[in-house]
Parts: sequence; C-alpha cells; structure tokens
Amino acid sequence: MDPMKAQQLAAELEVEMMADMYNRMTNACHRKCVPPHYKEAELSKGEAVCLDRCVAKYLDLHERLGRKLTELSVQDEEMMRKAAVSTG
Amino acid sequence: MGGLPSPQKTDQEKMIERGMESCTFKAVLACVGGFVLGGAFGVFTAGIDTNVGFDPKDPLKTPTAREVLKDMGQRGMSYAKNFAIVGAMFSCTECIIESHRGKSDWKNAVYSGCVTGGAIGLRAGLKAGVLGCGGFAAFSAAIEYYLR
Repeated sequence: MDPMKAQQLAAELEVEMMADMYNRMTNACHRKCVPPHYKEAELSKGEAVCLDRCVAKYLDLHERLGRKLTELSVQDEEMMRKAAVSTG
Repeated sequence: MGGLPSPQKTDQEKMIERGMESCTFKAVLACVGGFVLGGAFGVFTAGIDTNVGFDPKDPLKTPTAREVLKDMGQRGMSYAKNFAIVGAMFSCTECIIESHRGKSDWKNAVYSGCVTGGAIGLRAGLKAGVLGCGGFAAFSAAIEYYLR
C-alpha cells in the first residue's frame, strides 16, 4: 500500500498547494489592481487588463521558481548522497 | 476554490461581454451617440439662429420654409459629423490609454482629452494644437471631477 499511500499524500499536498497559491494570488492581485473606490459593481477595463497581467505574471513566476527550487533540491540531494556514500 | 458558488457563464455570454468591453465597440457607441447629439444640437442652434436660409445672392429675399429647413438640416448634419468624430476619437483614445496603463482613474480622460484636442487643433498649426490639447484636457478633467 505504500506507493498508493505516497501517491495519495502527494495528491493531497498538491491540492493544498494549489489552493494556497490561488488564495495568495487573489489577495496579491486584488491589492495591486483594484483600488478601494467601489463606485460601481463591475470591473472596469483598466482593472480587468491589470488583473489579466497580474495573474499571468504570478503564474509564470510560480512556475519558474518551482522549477528552480526543484533543481536546487535535486542538487542538494545528490550532494548529500555523495557525502553519505563517501563516509559510509 | 473560488468564492461563493455562482452559475457558470456560457461561452456566448463570455463572447458578448468581451465584445461589449472592447475598444472598438466603445468607439462605435460614442460615434453614434455623438452623431445623434450633434444633430440635435445643430438643429437647435439653427433654430435660434437668425441667419438660417440666408441667400447671399439676394440678401433682401425672405427664405422659403423649404430653404430654411434644408439649411437647418445641413447645419445639423455638419454638427453631427463633427461631434461623431470627436466622440469616437475621444472614446477610442481613452480606451487605449486605459488598456495600456491598467488603471482606471481620472487621468485617462485628461490624457485622451489632450490627444483628441491636439489632433483636432493640429490641423490649424502647432500653437492651436497645444491650445486644443490644454482646453480639451481641462474640459475632460472638469467632467471627470463632476462624475467622480
């Protein structure tokens, strides 16, 4: 059952990570793009354009940072394994 | 994910909304509105003008009703075309500037007022262009102040 449990755990972590990212992105883009002057209920054109750009940049940044972090963690793991092999 | 549950918009609805928010639709709307408003304004101005139907070849002749109506129509049409062009230009530039800046505040109207006034005035020389820019920008600022 171990691989299945591991998969399930990974899936749960992924969902939690996605939800957290969504919340943070919503908060950040709302803070940057929608000034607190609520004169009408609909998004104006400028705000809609700003939100499009904000979401695109956020997702791009998220993907790049994730890739860089996995690279670094893979390097770290290899270094630790080499150290373990050389001492063991 | 997402906030309160809301019914999904159909693809058609999304397309229509995107069309209505686009710059071309706003420019067309302003053009048509300007045309109508200009026509009404022109006919009204012609109505209180004593010079309507004036025939330069025979200044003492009182113009017939048909001539007066034709002159009023021509004047109304000329005002309508001018208002339509100005309205379309202002709306188009404002939409473009707002899309570029990504914000919606009073400065969009001022910048596009300057561009429109400058474009109109530039046909009569540089100084007229600068004056047109300043005047139209001030007018737009006043209207924005009133509206916000």
